[in-house]
Amino acid sequence: MFEFAGYDMPVWYTSITDEHLAVRNGCGVFDVSHMGRIRVTGADAGRLLDRLLPTNILSQSDAKAIYTIFLNERGGILDDLVVMKLSSDNYLAVVNAINTKADLKHVVENSQGLDASIQDVTESSAMVAVQGPESQRVLQPLVPLDLNELKRFRCVETQVMGQRSLVSRTGYTGEDGFEVIVYDTSEVNPTSALAIWEKVVETAKPCGLGARDSLRIEAGYPLYGAEIDAETNPVEADLAWVVSAGKTSYLGHEAIAEARGSTPARIRRGIVLERGIPRNGFEVLDNGTSQPVGKVTSGTFSPVLHKGIAMALIATERAELGERIRVRVRDSAVEGRVVKPPFYDEKIYGWKRLNNGK
Amino acid sequence: MRVKNYDVPGDLLYTKEHEWAKGSESVVKVGVTDYAAKTLNDVVYVSLPKVGERTVQSKTMGTVESIKAVSELYSPFSGVVTKVNDDLNSHPELVNKSPYGEGWLLELKPADFESESKNLLDADSYAKHLESTAHKE
Repeated sequence: MFEFAGYDMPVWYTSITDEHLAVRNGCGVFDVSHMGRIRVTGADAGRLLDRLLPTNILSQSDAKAIYTIFLNERGGILDDLVVMKLSSDNYLAVVNAINTKADLKHVVENSQGLDASIQDVTESSAMVAVQGPESQRVLQPLVPLDLNELKRFRCVETQVMGQRSLVSRTGYTGEDGFEVIVYDTSEVNPTSALAIWEKVVETAKPCGLGARDSLRIEAGYPLYGAEIDAETNPVEADLAWVVSAGKTSYLGHEAIAEARGSTPARIRRGIVLERGIPRNGFEVLDNGTSQPVGKVTSGTFSPVLHKGIAMALIATERAELGERIRVRVRDSAVEGRVVKPPFYDEKIYGWKRLNNGK
Repeated sequence: MRVKNYDVPGDLLYTKEHEWAKGSESVVKVGVTDYAAKTLNDVVYVSLPKVGERTVQSKTMGTVESIKAVSELYSPFSGVVTKVNDDLNSHPELVNKSPYGEGWLLELKPADFESESKNLLDADSYAKHLESTAHKE
């Protein structure tokens, strides 16, 4: 067990490699109850979120799960999150556990004068992520709706084993999968959430934090505190797509407009190493001169590629796709290549290979 | 013998950092213990010195890595590396499957086997060390 954001969590149940491959090839399940869950409701709920997020919220249809970011005035990233738009006056934001209190404060502080109610529902709910190409087969018997109707980045309130829940076709692994937020359950009385977990693990493999990290790195997903933080703007973080075109009235807009107006000095890219395993903080070096040109933000060993892989912030002029690069791994300057994640072949792995990417 | 869940063969010498050594003044075989292998869980990469490189007792000489963690390797003896287990390049999991057998790491010619052995732990002392280390978990 390992302490993560104040929670006691397993790094693995059996083996990180086995759990990682179970998600890529079958179905794995993660207890992600530690993530923050914040309800925003009321006539101005949409307006409030739309002001705080660079992504369109008001113009989105209902039943959408929207990946987005909180920004500060300098255009730095305060957190990344998924906002479930249940209706124009009912939203549920899922945030990183480490930022729950700060995000709550951020939303509340900006809600002055607005008809919006903000509630931290983390403690009165649980959350389970069912991930992998077999995840629909695992979840279908437990829900009354046809999961073929629930498309990627969509969400719906329904029952899971009779318990009121929010189900979204989202995840942090790159595979098809579902995130299930079980309502009306708590640390004090987790019975209904436990029943769902126990049913799911009859056919899915329990997976810990280790596999969660190796999967999301392979998929190219950022982690707050590694690839993104208050000193990194979305352009550098290769998340410019999160900023909706033409949107001008959100916190951080001026800084973002300025950032978008020029080429960033550094940019997030993927690196595949010839040998060895890159780790957070390792220097990225110019292939010819061995001068430092960046830093590894996250690194792991890919059980799919059988190679060390990383995400790194690299000086833009050395960050061309395919460019030869080196990473200092202890005393060696190991050869590698700059790539655009995901690291796996999307014809073989990942949610886009199913249903022609719908 | 077994200490909690971990194998501790009686005929080996051990370091506090969970390496084992077996041999004499002509050649010493080195590996990591069952405790080290189980703690790391899936070993996916092993970085060892090359044949001909020198090692210094209790100084780092490489790493044994899982997806999540890097474990430094400390040399049990000063000397020169004579052989390296190349199977670990394609089968690093041998360290987990057989830490005292097929998962051996390297062989070296020790510089001073007699006196440096005195700095290592015998099986009973390592077992005691494990009792207190593993107890903290």
